Amino acid sequence: MPLAALAVAFLALPLVAVAVRTPWGALAEELAAPGVLAALRLSLVCSLGALALSFFLGLPLAWVLARVPFRGRRIVRALVILPMVLPPVVGGVALLLAYGRQGIVGHLLEQALGITLPFTTAGVIVAEAFVGMPFFVVTVEAGLRAMDGRYEEAAASLGAGRWTTFRRVTLPLLAPSLGAGAALCWARALGEFGATITFAGNLPGSTQTMPLAVYLALQTDTTTAVALSAVMLAISLTVLVVLRDRWFRLP
Amino acid sequence: MTRAAVSTADPSAKQGLRARVVLRRGTLDLSVDIDARAGEVVGLLGPNAAGKTTFLRALAGLTPIMAGHVVLDGAVLEDPAVGVRTAPEERSVGLMFQDYRLFPHLTVLDNVAFGLRARGVKRSPARQSAMEWLAKVGMADAAGVRPRALSGGQAQRVALARALVLRPRLLLLDEPLAAIDGSARADLRRDLHRHLSWFDGTCLLVTHDPLEAVTLADRLVVLEDGHVTQSGSAEEIGAHPRTRYVADLVGVNLFRGRSAGTTIMLPGGETIVAADERYHHGEVFAAIHPRVVSLFREAPEGSPRNVWPGAVEVLDAIGDRVRVQVHGPMPLLVEVTPAAVASLALDEGGEVWAAVKAAEVVVYPA
Repeated sequence: MPLAALAVAFLALPLVAVAVRTPWGALAEELAAPGVLAALRLSLVCSLGALALSFFLGLPLAWVLARVPFRGRRIVRALVILPMVLPPVVGGVALLLAYGRQGIVGHLLEQALGITLPFTTAGVIVAEAFVGMPFFVVTVEAGLRAMDGRYEEAAASLGAGRWTTFRRVTLPLLAPSLGAGAALCWARALGEFGATITFAGNLPGSTQTMPLAVYLALQTDTTTAVALSAVMLAISLTVLVVLRDRWFRLP
Repeated sequence: MTRAAVSTADPSAKQGLRARVVLRRGTLDLSVDIDARAGEVVGLLGPNAAGKTTFLRALAGLTPIMAGHVVLDGAVLEDPAVGVRTAPEERSVGLMFQDYRLFPHLTVLDNVAFGLRARGVKRSPARQSAMEWLAKVGMADAAGVRPRALSGGQAQRVALARALVLRPRLLLLDEPLAAIDGSARADLRRDLHRHLSWFDGTCLLVTHDPLEAVTLADRLVVLEDGHVTQSGSAEEIGAHPRTRYVADLVGVNLFRGRSAGTTIMLPGGETIVAADERYHHGEVFAAIHPRVVSLFREAPEGSPRNVWPGAVEVLDAIGDRVRVQVHGPMPLLVEVTPAAVASLALDEGGEVWAAVKAAEVVVYPA
């Protein structure tokens, strides 16, 4: 029991410290500073962009992993999960090597399409999606597995084609998993630091997201850093509230 | 075991089902021929894992067949030999799953309207038709609730309405009453019978309950281990069971042996004497109804031609009769009156003699 209490204190105290030290009176003022607002807006844009990319690419991937048996499925799943355990900085380096200007795909992108990813806002989205998408795929795949096709069969026997079945049966039944996967993916993208700073840099206005701004502010103005941290903590708590049914239901 | 093809439908009648389904799935080797007219209800009876559900799934198009054909009202739905395979959603086949599979995220009304909506009917007329069908199955009051609030019997009625609202030409019911318990079952069976009597398409009904089969179906097909072992009316099947499964189902003692004159030699060396001389050689079945067996404490003298020793194994009261399982070289199920049990002082483990008159043994070719 004492050890458990110690563990709780260990985990909770830093969060309490943020709340205690937050300049509540001057919070609005701190957040209204030009650089802060830009970072906040950029964070929202990029994390939502990363979420959209994860949704668009991750849903078909989750579907294939859950429903289509093929050789090497375990290997593909391992590759998909890898970014979850990979140090984000290494992820950033890997992204540079692949999609950087001299990267194996990056130079082709630049030559053929004139697209440059590193040190651009698009690069931030790529970095955040790289780190966040696995959370979406893993969660949605689990949801699809739990459905096991019974209701899709019923829909087919009632005359519904693939698209109708997907739209009116699969998607609604998958909604809780999609919501949970999206929340996890988005929260992870929002907090992304290592891969972003490595791949996209720290340019105010175009690649400096909230976590980067917090780190930078800590060097100069601690109050701003704490205020920004408080905002991000609030966002994390909101995600937890959204996911409460999924995680806090004790057996 | 005879693998009889079932072909009672008039070949000139185009309306109805003509199916030959051959497929392999895990350890199941399915090869079934069934023809059924429109308006006919065929009961598919068989033990667990006989392939009944797989057969229905194949007809619905959910499991592809390896060989054979599925022809409904003259239209070929599937025939691998010519590369025809109609998708499940394109078939006019309604399948009621054993677990009903009502969509949990839709109301009862939208569940029933689902098929119509999927086929392009506008929301309002689809809901109107759905409502009419819900009224027909007595579930109009539940139109607005979600399936999880329904009892098993209510879910069954909704699932039936959901299948029938599309007016399928082939209706497949997989154990429609298996998930229902006790008192509700009789009501549901009666209502199901009423709906099936209105239904003008072909209906296949899977069950392992003989009462359900007899009350709901016009004709029975017995499926065992992926093959049809017997088919015909309930009376025919009950009178002349051809497998251990059917014999147990109808509660008859069934023996198979070689006939020589009026004596039937069983593989174990025992013999049965029958009065019937029509089948005096070859492989035959001998059926002995439990009620025609008499029990004695001492070896009986006189008229009975068949007398076998044994020991009482189980005593069971069934209505106003007592069912006695006699164990011995000729294992027999016997039905006697409670008075007989008392006067013979029958008890489990006691030695008895079982006697059957030759004229009571029913013999038919195997």
